[in-house]
Amino acid sequence: MLVAVMAAATALPQLYWMIFGKPVRTPFIMYSCVDDLFMIQRTGETMVREDTRGNQYTREEYEEKLPMLYMRQLMLSGTMMDTIRGIAIDAREVNNARSTFRYKPSDRYTPDPGLYPLFEAESGRANLEMPEDYFRITWRMEFTDAKTNKVDEEKSRLFSAALYHKGFQFPAVKIAGIPTTRKSCDEGYLVVDAAHQLFHVKMVRGKPYVRNVELPEGLRFEHIACVDFRDRLYYAYLIDKGGETWILTQDDYMLVKLPVGSFNPASEDMRIYGDFFNYNVIFNGDGFVRAVALDKDFNKIDEYGETWKIRMELPEGKAFTWLFPGTLKLESPNSNFLKFRVEVNPVARWIWLSLALAALHFLLLSRGKGYTLRKNLTGHLADLAIIVVSGIFGFLAVNIFPNRFFD
Amino acid sequence: MDYAIECINLTHYYGKKLVYENLNFQVPEGTILGLLGKNGSGKTTTINILNGFLQPRSGRCLIYGEDSQRLSPANKARIGFLIEGHIQYSFMDIHQIEKFYSGFYPKWDREPYWELMSKLKVTPHQKISSMSCGQRSQVALGLILAQDPDLLILDDFSMGLDPGYRRLFIDYLRAYAKARHKTIFTTSHIVQDMERLIDDVLIMDYNRVLTQRPVEEFMREFKQFSFELEDEKAEIPQDGFVTNLERVKDKVELYTYQSEEFVRGYLHEKGIAVREFRQVEMGLEDAFIGLTGKY
Amino acid sequence: MLIRSMIFKEWVKVRWFLLLYTLLAVLAVAYIFIRVRHDITFHEANNYWYFILFQGHSWFRLLRYIPLAGGLVLAVAQYFPETVNKRIKLTFHLPVEENRSLLMMMQFGTLCLLACFLLLFLLLCGLSRVWFPTEIIFSAVVSVTPWFLAGFAAYYLAALIILEPVWLRRILYLLVAAAFVPLYLTGSVPGGYGPAILALFLLTCLLSVALLFSGYRFRKGEM
Repeated sequence: MLVAVMAAATALPQLYWMIFGKPVRTPFIMYSCVDDLFMIQRTGETMVREDTRGNQYTREEYEEKLPMLYMRQLMLSGTMMDTIRGIAIDAREVNNARSTFRYKPSDRYTPDPGLYPLFEAESGRANLEMPEDYFRITWRMEFTDAKTNKVDEEKSRLFSAALYHKGFQFPAVKIAGIPTTRKSCDEGYLVVDAAHQLFHVKMVRGKPYVRNVELPEGLRFEHIACVDFRDRLYYAYLIDKGGETWILTQDDYMLVKLPVGSFNPASEDMRIYGDFFNYNVIFNGDGFVRAVALDKDFNKIDEYGETWKIRMELPEGKAFTWLFPGTLKLESPNSNFLKFRVEVNPVARWIWLSLALAALHFLLLSRGKGYTLRKNLTGHLADLAIIVVSGIFGFLAVNIFPNRFFD
Repeated sequence: MDYAIECINLTHYYGKKLVYENLNFQVPEGTILGLLGKNGSGKTTTINILNGFLQPRSGRCLIYGEDSQRLSPANKARIGFLIEGHIQYSFMDIHQIEKFYSGFYPKWDREPYWELMSKLKVTPHQKISSMSCGQRSQVALGLILAQDPDLLILDDFSMGLDPGYRRLFIDYLRAYAKARHKTIFTTSHIVQDMERLIDDVLIMDYNRVLTQRPVEEFMREFKQFSFELEDEKAEIPQDGFVTNLERVKDKVELYTYQSEEFVRGYLHEKGIAVREFRQVEMGLEDAFIGLTGKY
Repeated sequence: MLIRSMIFKEWVKVRWFLLLYTLLAVLAVAYIFIRVRHDITFHEANNYWYFILFQGHSWFRLLRYIPLAGGLVLAVAQYFPETVNKRIKLTFHLPVEENRSLLMMMQFGTLCLLACFLLLFLLLCGLSRVWFPTEIIFSAVVSVTPWFLAGFAAYYLAALIILEPVWLRRILYLLVAAAFVPLYLTGSVPGGYGPAILALFLLTCLLSVALLFSGYRFRKGEM
């Protein structure tokens, strides 16, 4: 019975949205270094490009307002300006300053691999090479050779000792890095230890390099995303437990809090586009988008936000709340972990349908075989209760597995 | 007298269709009762209720005093059950099936089983599914005999059997039951078999019981008279004593429990002139048809 | 005695199916490791580990539907012969409480599946120790556990469906099963099933007694 309710609660809403679901299109917001205001591009049946003052633009005009983003296009059509804000534009410098970063909740909520490759940071070679071994940091830092599947004791001792001497408390609770050879150079890993201290660990010419990063009192990180940008200004974006975003500068290990406000890393996206003049930080959640423009010194210049109706407030969502009590699902767009997630609909309209179905069920019972009603009162009351609580799912379940007990 | 089976006010419907209402009958211990009826008159329904495979709409059946809907394992061990068509676990061979059942019944006696099996021309590891219908019936019978139950419920045992096997089956069964004071409740759609087997007969028609009495008494009391009418158009009133009347033009077959004198007197009284009036000798099958009608 | 007989009957029904299935499944596991060995030799172990750790390569994915198939094969082998000519009547007529006989059948099937799955599972874990570190093995274990649970769930649901006397109901149950079983088999990143395993396990346990429902309906004369 429970299984039938669950099966219905998973399958029916899925089917419903497959049939009636419409995409919600988030506007694309970008700060214009030409006009010093936000440009908005709305996709949909017709494409609308406008600014926060309500001026509408053609595609070409729009692109000219965002020369850092559309430089290649503007150069191709010969409309690229020579100077912006009085600064002569050099294509190489612009390219160097460009950075793109995206955080999604599923970056944070995903199984840890547990093993990471530690690259040689100064190999003297032009390209990075995949190391032969992988490390884990449990009760010590341990390297396992892939070919033999055996622990390299000597290397493990060497690195463990280095960590230990810097005051590392085993085991590691978070290990962040860029475990790929497709990056400009290697900066190792940022590791959070059992005492919430932050360490920078890399391998330089076969020797461990460990640096303890000083943290403000009580700072705990929710997520660390290492970055590899051409300007090499900072190692990583760090998101703390309060949803504030920080950067860790290269070489001098300064932690700088971005003045962008907090967000919810469990359910909202964050994008950071860096260009020659600005950083565009865009937060995107259910029913809203919020953009913050920062200058190159990470000072806040401007902010713009929009909200729209979430899915459940649209007609098809309203119908959904009439029909179904909620949804049961294993997957979530915000996590790579599977677990049973019950999403009860925000509005309890479904209770009317539940009551109606319960009444219908009662009617069927008392009409069809009146005598069974009296005979198995508790059973039928249980059925009715199931219908009231789980609505259409329960109604189906009760009718698929009839609670018909004979005497 | 102790009853092996006692059904009280049994009523059942399939959907809205009435099978029977307030059916009452008893099977005393040590007797062999044959349940006769046309197809659809509720024979299999009764068997299913007796074996707890069907919950009657109301009323109940007691087997050795226990409600057949909730038979205790100990009571089920006293009942041997032959399913219509001699269904058995046909994925086993005769050794396997004997080994299987012997685990369930404390009184298990393999002698009669192997005695019957030795007469079958089957190879030791031949699956029951590859045996003929007759051979399968012997396996099913052998298993029941080995179980040594006090009550045997046989659902249409004659189905699919050659006349030889049928005769063998019946004779063996009757001798066995009488020698060991067993009770048998059986149905069969071949009525003539029953005559050699049963003590009591229970004849059902749609919705009702036509008769339940010792088969000997039934055969003695139930009579068929045939005669021809002088006047082809004469009406014969369907009075209470006439159980059934078959008439083709002037030829009449009249079935009744009344005596010849009574019938003659009755016809005379009503002024119906007849010729060639005689009592016809009947077998059980004739009597069954006479009682239930040809249709 | 009685239990031995019951086991004997079930064993006669399923033995060839079970042995054949186990053989095929073991071959499948063997094939998985032949693949692993081949890929390691051709791509170098460190690169192969990299595919697994960071690119979501699931080296054991061949196993996904194998336990499911096992559950179905066993259920059909065990319960289908009982429904031919309503042979289940014989089982219910045995001097054993009816639900108890059904539960014994179910337990027998569960033990068969468990033995078979345990063999596969140990083979998988044991052999993977030759080539893989614990992290990779652990995430594989988390991924395959729901697949094995799916095998049990399929077995229990198939029992319910096969023993159900009414065709219409069978189809309805089949729909329910078709909506339910995919919960065990959702494609996810390796190791992603972790938080759901306990709930799935409990649900599977609940399902195990579902066949009693069909048995009850049969005995009450639903046709």
